[in-house]
Amino acid sequence: MASNVDRLRDLLTEVFLLEPNQFRLDLRREQVDTWDSLGMVALAVGLEQTFGHHLPPDEVVALGGVPDIVAALSRRGVSFDG
Amino acid sequence: MDAASDEPFLASAAAKIPPVLGRDHFALLTSGSTGEPKLVVGCRRRAEALARTLHDVQRSEPVEEAVVALPLSYSYAFVNQWLWARVHGRRLVETRGLADPSQLARALGGSRAAMLCLVGAQVPMLLAHVPGPHPGVIRLHFAGGRFPQESLPRLREAFPNAAVFNNYGCAEAMPRLTLRRAEEADLAADVGTPIPGVELRTGSGGALEFRSSYGAIGYVDPAGFHDIAPGAWLVTGDLGERQEHGRWVLQGRASEVFKRYGEKVALPQLLATVSAAWSGQAAFYRERDRSGEDGHVLVLAPAPGPEELRLVLRVLRARHARAQWPLRIEALGTLPLLANGKVDVGGLVAARARPPLWDQRL
Repeated sequence: MASNVDRLRDLLTEVFLLEPNQFRLDLRREQVDTWDSLGMVALAVGLEQTFGHHLPPDEVVALGGVPDIVAALSRRGVSFDG
Repeated sequence: MDAASDEPFLASAAAKIPPVLGRDHFALLTSGSTGEPKLVVGCRRRAEALARTLHDVQRSEPVEEAVVALPLSYSYAFVNQWLWARVHGRRLVETRGLADPSQLARALGGSRAAMLCLVGAQVPMLLAHVPGPHPGVIRLHFAGGRFPQESLPRLREAFPNAAVFNNYGCAEAMPRLTLRRAEEADLAADVGTPIPGVELRTGSGGALEFRSSYGAIGYVDPAGFHDIAPGAWLVTGDLGERQEHGRWVLQGRASEVFKRYGEKVALPQLLATVSAAWSGQAAFYRERDRSGEDGHVLVLAPAPGPEELRLVLRVLRARHARAQWPLRIEALGTLPLLANGKVDVGGLVAARARPPLWDQRL
């Protein structure tokens, strides 16, 4: 069964068209040129579809990278341990 | 003129053609740029004049026969092959095209100094099922859709003795407007220069308009018969721009160019991008996204492998803004085609291949 890190990696790879090894847990928004305004909308939809949690628009806009996504989902009970 | 009485539109439309046009005229059924059926009325004298002009500009004097792989009810095959053969006293070899690849292969195998007319959408199937080589074909024409520029190397292997032409026109032009030899340009959308007797101009909103001495003299739509006045400028249904040296480049069908989140989306350009990374079939259908914005879905056939899909996505990312990316990428075993070889967009929508290979989630 895929871990939540795997699911997050697959989601971001699909939404931002990342290269296969581009995903890292410390990846920053400014390192991804496709992390644009439409990409944020797609990310919000993808997070809800994948993890079942709706992030309000102002929180999505404030996401600065993968650490912020992990933090936002962790606050909602999604575990990224192990 | 003969109408198939089992086609309700055709029967009623044929009845609306003025009786005075009952001799030395003909009618062709087309979906036109709107998708609505339309019966376009042509004049025998004009069509025969076009067949003679085509003979000259397509350098067809050495051609001894026309191998037909498209329905003759299609204006392109009708004028470029049936009428041309009749006017110039050449053989017509009828086949069922790619509906019967082995018959087509036999016809091409036995051909001598032949002309073959195809549409670009047929190329992947042709190369897969009738790969050749076919040395007996000396003229290979394309019309009725995007010119298969990226397939030229493989087409030259399959047809080693053929001069390849990109023809452009529309049903109301009956049907030819421009021509180019394949090697004269690198861009699929480059349709070359107008043939003698044809003028082009860019009208309102970039609409490509034409005036032709060979064009239709009228048409029937659900509202009735409409005369086309001599010398009238008509829309082609495409957008186009004049380039240096009088060449014309299509910007897409008027219905295939649209704005999405402020970005111009030209499906023909996207198709060219996809074709740079994908050698199979590809087509788009239109769909609105969750926000109600116009969007588009890419359909590939046959289904690409993971690495092939990654290449397609990579080239889309490299060349286009996100707003121009498809909403989804779907896959089918083969693209549904209409009888004239063009992609059946309605069939793509109906198939809606699930699950998608990739989803932008917008």
